[in-house]
This record gives sequence, C-alpha cells and structure tokens, in this order.
Amino acid sequence: MKSNSRNLVMAAMFGGRRGGRPAVGNPTSIACHGLMERAKVSFPEAHLNARAMAELALAGHEEVGFDTVMPEYSVVQEAAALGAQVDWGDRDKMPDVKEFPNADFSDIVVPPDFLEKPSCRVVLDALSILRRHVGGRVAIIGKVMGPWTMSYHMAGTQNFLLAVGMGESDKVTKMLRQLMPVTVAFINAQFAAGADIVVLADHATRNLVGPYHYQEYLLPIHQEITAQVGGPLILHVCGNCSDRLELFAESGVDAYHFEWQVDAREAVRRIGDRVSLAGNINNPQVLLQGRPEDVHHQARYAIAAGVHLIGPECAIPLSTPIENLKAIVAAAREGW
Amino acid sequence: MSDHLDRIKAAVIGGRHGEIKALVQQALEAGADPSTLINDALIAAMDVVGTDFGAGRIFVPEMLVSAVTMKAGLDVVKPRLAAGESRSRGTVVMATVKGDLHDIGKNLVSMMLEGAGFKVMDLGVDLSVEKLVDQVRTIQPDILGLSALLTTTMPEMQKVIGELQRQGLRDRVKVLVGGAPVDPGFAEKIGADGYGANAAEAVALARRIVDAKG
Ligand code: B12
Repeated sequence: MKSNSRNLVMAAMFGGRRGGRPAVGNPTSIACHGLMERAKVSFPEAHLNARAMAELALAGHEEVGFDTVMPEYSVVQEAAALGAQVDWGDRDKMPDVKEFPNADFSDIVVPPDFLEKPSCRVVLDALSILRRHVGGRVAIIGKVMGPWTMSYHMAGTQNFLLAVGMGESDKVTKMLRQLMPVTVAFINAQFAAGADIVVLADHATRNLVGPYHYQEYLLPIHQEITAQVGGPLILHVCGNCSDRLELFAESGVDAYHFEWQVDAREAVRRIGDRVSLAGNINNPQVLLQGRPEDVHHQARYAIAAGVHLIGPECAIPLSTPIENLKAIVAAAREGW
Repeated sequence: MSDHLDRIKAAVIGGRHGEIKALVQQALEAGADPSTLINDALIAAMDVVGTDFGAGRIFVPEMLVSAVTMKAGLDVVKPRLAAGESRSRGTVVMATVKGDLHDIGKNLVSMMLEGAGFKVMDLGVDLSVEKLVDQVRTIQPDILGLSALLTTTMPEMQKVIGELQRQGLRDRVKVLVGGAPVDPGFAEKIGADGYGANAAEAVALARRIVDAKG
C-alpha cells in the first residue's frame, strides 16, 4: 500500500476488518455472449461507445452479482490511440492489432492529446458513467496496459521478443521507456474519471519470457510506475508465473491477479503478506467447459487458501456460460 | 572435425548469431561434410534448444535467437550440398487457422522444418478453410501443419480435415496439428495424422511421415 492520503484514510476507515464474506471481482473482462444479451449490447460497440461499454460492465454486477464493474474488454485501447491499426472484431472475436507501427523500433511518438483519442476517451467516459450509477456501492475497476504489452502491439510480439533475445537492450529499454508515460497517464486519468482500483496488465508471462527478463527489463519500470500513480493497483500477468511471484511482489502493486496454474495456497504462502491475491478460477477447463459444481469447488478452494478477491483467472472466453459465473458468486456468498 | 561441429552446435544453442557464419565457413574449409554439418550440428543443436524450452530452462527470446542462428548457418551450408542432397525432404504447408493470430510457435516449427531440409511454405495466420484447401490443391504438399492457440479456433482444424475429405484431397496429404491447447486426444478425435507438442517433435513427425512414404 502506498501511503498517500487517500489510501491511508481508506485503510483507517476499515481498520483491517474483512466484512461478512469474500469479495467477487473481475480484474479482467467477464464479457460473454450471455451478458451481451442481457445488457442488450454487443461487440464491437462495447469497445467503442462509452454507454454500451458501461452497460455491459454493469450487467456483471446486476445480472451476475460480481462486486466489481470493469468496463475495458480489449487489450488494444492504448495501442489504437498510439496509431496501431486495430480490427475491432465482432460479437465472437476480440479486437486485434493488424499492423505494428513501430516494427522497426522507431521512436514512439505519444500524441499530446493521447487521452482524448476515441479509444482512450471511451474508457474514461465509461468509468465516469459507472461512478454516477454505482459509485460508493460497487468497486469500479479500470485497466491499463503496461509498457511490455504495449510493445507487443507496437513492434509485434515476435519481433519484440527477438530483440530481447538478441540482447538489444538499448532498443528494448528505449521502447519500454517511451511507453511508460502512457501507462502512468492513463492510470491517473482512470482514477480521476472514477476508478477505485486500476489493473496494470503487462504480459511478461512464463509462456514467453523468463523471470530474469522480467527482473532486468520490467521490474524497474513497474517500480517507477507504481511510484508515480495514486490509488490501488492490481498487477495482471497470466500464465504460470510461479517462478516470479516474489518479483511481482517487489513491483509496488497492491495485488496480483493470477491463474489457476499457480496454486492458490502456494501464492498466498509466498507473497500473501505483501500483496493481496486476486483470481484464480480456471477459464478453459472450468469456467468454459466445466459445470457450476466444478466452479464452486475451485472458488471454495481459493477462498480457503486465502485468496482475497475471487474471480476468473483471466479474460473469460466469450462463450462462457453465465451459470458458471454465478457459481463463483454463490460460493462467495457462503461466507468465509 | 567433431571439434568444429561441437563449436557450431554450441553457437546455435547459445544463440551466438554473429559468429555462426564464420564457424560454418571454417568447418566447411576444414572438409566437413555439409549434410553431417546440418544434421549433427545445426539440427542437433535445435533439438537441445527445444528440450531446454520444453523444460522451462530457456524462453521464447532465446529460442527465437537460436532459430535465427541456425538459419544463418544453414544459408552458408546449403549452396555446398551436392545436387542429390540439396533435394528437399518434402514439402510442408504451415498455417495458423482462421480467427487465430498466434504465430510464434508456428514460425518456430517452420524454421525447424526448414533446418531439417523440408521445403516450407508458410501461409501465415488467420487462414480460412477454403483458402487452406485451395492451397493444398495447388501446392500439393506432403504435409499440412496446422497451428491453433485458442480453444475457440481449434474446431477450425477439424473443418479443414473435413473439407479435404469432401474434396477428395485427404489421401494426398498428411495433416499435423499443434499449439498449446491441442493434445493427442484431440488430434486423434478430429482424424489428424499426428500431433507435435513442440518444434522438435514436429520435425521428428515430419521425418517419419516422409520416410514412410519412401
Ligand atoms: C503471445 C500470446 C499472444 C500474442 C500473440 C503474438 C503472436 N504473434 O503470436 C497476442 C498478444 C497478439 C495474443 C492475443 C490474444 N490472445 Co494470446 N497468448 C499468447 C501467449 C502468452 C503465448 C503464446 C506463444 O507464443 N507461446 C510460445 C510458443 C513457442 O508456444 P506455442 O505457440 O504453444 O508453440 C509450440 C507448440 O505448441 C508447438 N506447435 C505450435 N504450432 C504447431 C503446429 C504444428 C503442426 C505442430 C506439430 C506443433 C506446433 O510447437 C511450438 C514450438 O515449440 C499464450 C499463453 C499460452 N499459455 O500459450 C496466450 C494465449 C494463447 N492467448 C489467449 C487469448 C485469450 C488471446 C486473446 C483472445 C486475448 C484478448 N483478450 O484479446 C488474443 C487473441 C488474438 C487472436 N485472434 O488470435 C489465451 C487462449 C485461451 C484459450 N485456450 O483459448 C492464452 C492461452 C492466454 C490465457 N492464459 O488466457 N496472444
């Protein structure tokens, strides 16, 4: 916890009391076809229109019972504002970057009106709408990509990772440093717009890079980011990151959102005294293909392990059944 | 001679892309047999790299650099292969299926197959069933390699196999599948001819298929 005025006062208000039951939250998207039908909005509209974006987020609280609302479903809002060509997809397909503007590692030029570009403005406006509707009652979560993920989008993932492998640390660091102010500015703007918490998503996952890459390139940058922003931050890095939990705990974030592949008990044991843990119900086997009983089982395991905020491990597949999301809420309502 | 081969192997494993061309050149000048050099140094090195990656000792950046290093070495050896030896071992068409943009794994498989002497036509990502079947008809490859990283795009693989069947092309091409969510059970269920968990397995499979053909 960063000792700024707001955090100190909030901590003083609750004095470490944990309430009557565990909280259910979604640091990443729980948009799915069932929720789209109930909110009467669809993709790509919900990426591009603030009202649609907010409606879909609200459905997560009103229709499913989550304690959070999180209105950003894609991972490319920043990249689009920085000039990457984005295909916004459709009801069945998440947006993707089509062309990488800085594949040659040329300088990234951050437009001075970056926060006013439509793909950023829409998120800020959606957060403000949510604030007006549920402020003070439901936790409002914003989401911002970190410099590592943005580099995948600006340079192309393979291209970026090749530069890392080649040891071209000047090139890599320059790109990360040029993107860092984007992350900081967008996080601060999301707090100002009404977010209670912001997720910092930065995919330095074990499926791609080693803990030593995180430590060398990204940890110092995460430490600078967390020093420069205000409120509570949740770090999201998916994949099996058991080999770098302690490094994440050093980044200065308040919580880590993690996958089922990392055992909840182990995560709590290793870093639970320094950061809160959010997650970690399995998406592909359990939320997508499992039965509500399976979801219930994993949710109770996570609660018993001491995970602080129960929810899916990552952005859920679009065809996830709503019943399975509701099973998380039901498990949490059984209390501690 | 094995000294030269060891040094080349170590350079590929270590991703020392700046040194590889000179090392290969030296080995050739010292009289190394080009195809031994390819099999026992360049490809053997990538087998080690693939194993290290599978075991979590190295990660994608290192694997990409090793692959680039292997290719640079290969470029030096290739012109030295005798006419018979330079004949390709077979043709492979590689692609990521419709709706899927993940291509790092597929690219690694393509590079390794190329290293192993296959002629590889990499069609890229987001390939529709129609396009893939058309390409199989035109290129007439020995092997079609399909990659999918999303549970939502895995069914595309089955559609491709179904369409090959419908168009009477299924007997002419072996279909290999791969990608993180794919497993041997799924491969069998959809009627694929093989599944590879990593690039090294992909090469072994492709070799087996081509050798069986004679
Ligand atoms: C890198 C990555 C991306 C990059 C892709 C960049 C690129 N150019 O490829 C970006 C950021 C663009 C991306 C986007 C998305 N991604 Co992604 N991504 C990954 C990640 C982290 C790593 C994949 C990778 O490259 N691995 C390294 C390579 C070397 O391994 P590999 O691909 O498995 O390949 C090896 C073997 O499988 C095999 N192989 C591969 N192909 C073939 C083919 C044959 C024939 C054979 C024999 C063998 C073989 O050999 C390879 C070498 O050893 C995975 C996490 C994971 N667990 O895999 C998620 C992951 C695959 N992504 C996921 C998701 C959900 C997405 C998005 C929908 C995110 C979003 N919300 O927008 C989009 C979808 C975009 C699209 N339409 O495809 C999910 C998929 C969940 C699921 N099971 O369906 C994963 C699993 C992450 C997660 N835990 O949720 N992603």
